[in-house]
Amino acid sequence: MSDVGMILQRLGATLVNEVAPKLEGDYSGGHASMAGLMAVMAGEMWEKEADLLVNEIGRMKALLAAAGIGEAEPHIESFLISDLKAMRNELAMQLIELQASLEAKDDEGSKALNTQIWGHLLATCAGRMPSPPAFGAAGEGEG
Amino acid sequence: MPEVVIDNPELARQFEPYAEAHIPGARNLRVVQMRRIHGGASRQTYSVDIAYEDATGPKTKGVILRRDPADSLIDTERRVEFAAIRTAHGKAGIPAPEALFLETDTGPLGAPFFVMGRIEGGMPLNPFQIDAVEPHRAEVGREFFRHLGAIASLEIDGTPIAEEIETPAPDQCWKRELDYWANEIRTNAREPQPVAEAAIRYLAANPPPPAQKLSLVHGDFRSGNFLHDGQGRINAVLDWEMAHIGDPYEDLAWATDLLWCGNDQERAAGFIPWPDAIAVWQEASGCSFDPAAFEWWSLFAHLKGLGIWITSARAFADGKNDDPILAWSGWFTHAAHELMLASRLAPKFGVKL
Repeated sequence: MSDVGMILQRLGATLVNEVAPKLEGDYSGGHASMAGLMAVMAGEMWEKEADLLVNEIGRMKALLAAAGIGEAEPHIESFLISDLKAMRNELAMQLIELQASLEAKDDEGSKALNTQIWGHLLATCAGRMPSPPAFGAAGEGEG
Repeated sequence: MPEVVIDNPELARQFEPYAEAHIPGARNLRVVQMRRIHGGASRQTYSVDIAYEDATGPKTKGVILRRDPADSLIDTERRVEFAAIRTAHGKAGIPAPEALFLETDTGPLGAPFFVMGRIEGGMPLNPFQIDAVEPHRAEVGREFFRHLGAIASLEIDGTPIAEEIETPAPDQCWKRELDYWANEIRTNAREPQPVAEAAIRYLAANPPPPAQKLSLVHGDFRSGNFLHDGQGRINAVLDWEMAHIGDPYEDLAWATDLLWCGNDQERAAGFIPWPDAIAVWQEASGCSFDPAAFEWWSLFAHLKGLGIWITSARAFADGKNDDPILAWSGWFTHAAHELMLASRLAPKFGVKL
């Protein structure tokens, strides 16, 4: 069985609903609750992380190419999450530099490209926002 | 008979002689209860019951021991936190705990620590479960903004906090805070932060008006950092580790940040309608509400949040602190604040929502 998303969802529910209540009053009870919530979040992210990264890479490649930096085609050689993240991070650094340079310009083309970059940033943030946590037994953990 | 719990027997043994030496006239002091409590990822926090004798007979006392961990959410000096509590305790009705001992030497307990009086009879409010305060939401809300304003109302000249840290110029409060958190983000980020970087540039290019007054800033005044009595009264304001002197709008904006509002944008901090909250805060603080100042400081609050969560993630990833709250903060709350920042800044640059 390699249905990681389902397994993490179930492990998380067990930690939050069964283990944590038995540890109520002990400091480790809070740890169990938070670990359970994050197991659920990890299962959700496991399902979509590769898709998010490939889309982020594709959008950033296109934005940078529009400014004359590199090619628009992603040319992804490895779909390991760690490799995709390394590629995404390298492009994000270039995007930060590009956006800062665009903000210093006053022409319509620069403003339009900056608007597109903000559209990309907003889409990235929205895509990466985890589902709201199901607080309950985990109620005392936030600090 | 209640169960006796000593969560950390070695710490209890070390604490006994220290406390006895620091309580005038105390002898035969012993720790009869020591529970590690949540809400203290930035420091290890223990609720401690001590029993001792003095010239008038047997005594018992509840205290809170805050010891520095190997790493913490925020790199702040416990000396400043201690001074902030001393500044607020007993003033303007602010229910700050009583500051008892401060020890900066690592000798007695293996790490610096301080001790406060424990405020009895209060319960925390999870910022993600604000509905739990019903049916006293409005009363707690008015107390919340009254205490927030009262902190801003204190005269700071000659206070313990003013003796401990620098007082910025009114037109430099924003820059000092922005520079500090920008540095925290850049030092601790494990991945590029394009939204944070864009926000830093925007905030630097569009500064707020100078502070109307210089005040004690709690630094982390929000749901989750106070205790209430279940009857509509806030009986403790806690977690002063980010306290400093600055612009009162910093506290107002952080206290009403969307993250702490339970997704309720109609009620300030998720408690009472915005006009009511502002009216209570203005009366208690002596400040007048300025939308331009609030706009800047509320954007900054999202960025400051990112700084805290990025620092948390770094501490967890580096193995300095295994508390899962740090990982959760570095993930969920980081994502939430990043989305808030992007949602507010993108329209300023032409994105139609």
